[in-house]
Amino acid sequence: MIKVIISTMILQMKQSFARPMFRFCLIANPILNTILLYEMFRESGATNYMAYVTLGAGLMGLWGCICFSSAGDINRERFSGTLALIFTAPARFPIIILGKIIGNTIMSLLTMIISLMTSVIFFRIQLQLADPLYFLIALLAAIISFIVISSVIACILTLSRKTELYMNCIEIPIILLCGFAFPVSVLPFGIRIVSYTLAPTYAVELMRMAVWGITDKAEFCEKLLVLMILTLIYALISAFLYKKIDRSVRIAATLEVA
Amino acid sequence: MSQVICVENLKREFVSKKGLFKKEIKIVKAVDGISFDVERGEIFGLLGQNGAGKTTTIKMLTTLLAPTSGKCEVFGYKSFGEENHIRSRINFIFGGELGVYKRLSARDNLRYFANLYLIPQKEQNERIEQILKLVDLADRADDLVETYSKGMIQRLQIARGLINDPEILFMDEPTIGLDPVGARMLRDIIRRLKNEGKTVLLTTHNLAEVEELCDRLVIINKGRVIAEGTPESIKGNYNSLEDSYVEIVKGVSA
Repeated sequence: MIKVIISTMILQMKQSFARPMFRFCLIANPILNTILLYEMFRESGATNYMAYVTLGAGLMGLWGCICFSSAGDINRERFSGTLALIFTAPARFPIIILGKIIGNTIMSLLTMIISLMTSVIFFRIQLQLADPLYFLIALLAAIISFIVISSVIACILTLSRKTELYMNCIEIPIILLCGFAFPVSVLPFGIRIVSYTLAPTYAVELMRMAVWGITDKAEFCEKLLVLMILTLIYALISAFLYKKIDRSVRIAATLEVA
Repeated sequence: MSQVICVENLKREFVSKKGLFKKEIKIVKAVDGISFDVERGEIFGLLGQNGAGKTTTIKMLTTLLAPTSGKCEVFGYKSFGEENHIRSRINFIFGGELGVYKRLSARDNLRYFANLYLIPQKEQNERIEQILKLVDLADRADDLVETYSKGMIQRLQIARGLINDPEILFMDEPTIGLDPVGARMLRDIIRRLKNEGKTVLLTTHNLAEVEELCDRLVIINKGRVIAEGTPESIKGNYNSLEDSYVEIVKGVSA
């Protein structure tokens, strides 16, 4: 199983990096996002640019890469005729998809570094990271949560041939709902309810707390626990869906292009 | 000889919906109650016009598609529901340029699929070298597949199909895109597989190929079997299998 995951990760990284669109999402997107967010925040009176500009732009880039790669890969595999091959291989399909997603996510973390470099080089933003250890914990939890979410998305997209439409539909709403670029507290109450059912909301809040400095450890642990529970729920949904799609895609004949 | 494929009254329908508000449902019967069986070690031909249901039948047998009804068994296991007993023992090759990763080399492609077929590392290198030589790609094994010609990609497809040393190899129009040398190489591979006791289920429009290779065959038309037997018995008094095939299909379509 480990070997399948590792070989899929390597294949995925090679394949993704060879695509100009992925390179754009990985390199140009975080630079542009950082410039955009910096201009938005310049007059806001906020002082900690790291919390919103650098982190926000990095997360937007990370999410963009996940959407257009982990999700889009299903369609690329479908159109290149390899989806049917990996689906029927003795190595289990969810394991192969997991390898792809981990490969993409690891590579997509580069967006965070590029966003950081853009902030420092272009805007001389002073990096304020009050609690590096807590930030690391939050980042790790965020990565796991993103991997699980990607897995759910990839699974759903295996069922349909309208993959490109859906992945375009989910990118911006998640950025807005989960408060990548602004605090969720500015959203209307009804929308905040939706925000707090989404794991990335907690991941972003945890990272932001670590950037500012943890004043209330109990609150950090509480949010981390909620994030872990939500991630676990997503993982269970994902496992359930993979069982379902194993039958459904063969009934609906969506493994290949019609 | 023992039976390795058993198909009985197999049906597969495709349902499509059209229209935004008033949905118009269209049902296409791709396979409409076909029956045949294949013995271990046979080269079995599945013939028919475009859209006759050959590819759909192969997809059901290779666990890619669920049958709508009927029996579809490989090694005595249902292709839908018991597929885990089947997948490691079969492989399939679909004609054309799809089914390989074009931004990887041939060697990387084969290594990746060897991993997906859970082939131990020790066996992988030796097997990959052998297969690359067999399909005459050893010299270009480390070049990216996107630099290959159509025929070379097709040969890589064949190599991928052999990676797990399958007991049954399903081939759907495998000679599409192959030049005469490549096509002959493929026929030699098929004969070699037969000598090794492997089973091959083959669809092709090249009837000379069928005559040369197949032990038995069925002809299907609009999802139904219209003739079955050995190439000789189907050929009957006609000069060639092609003449006989054309008359049979014309007779049914009239």
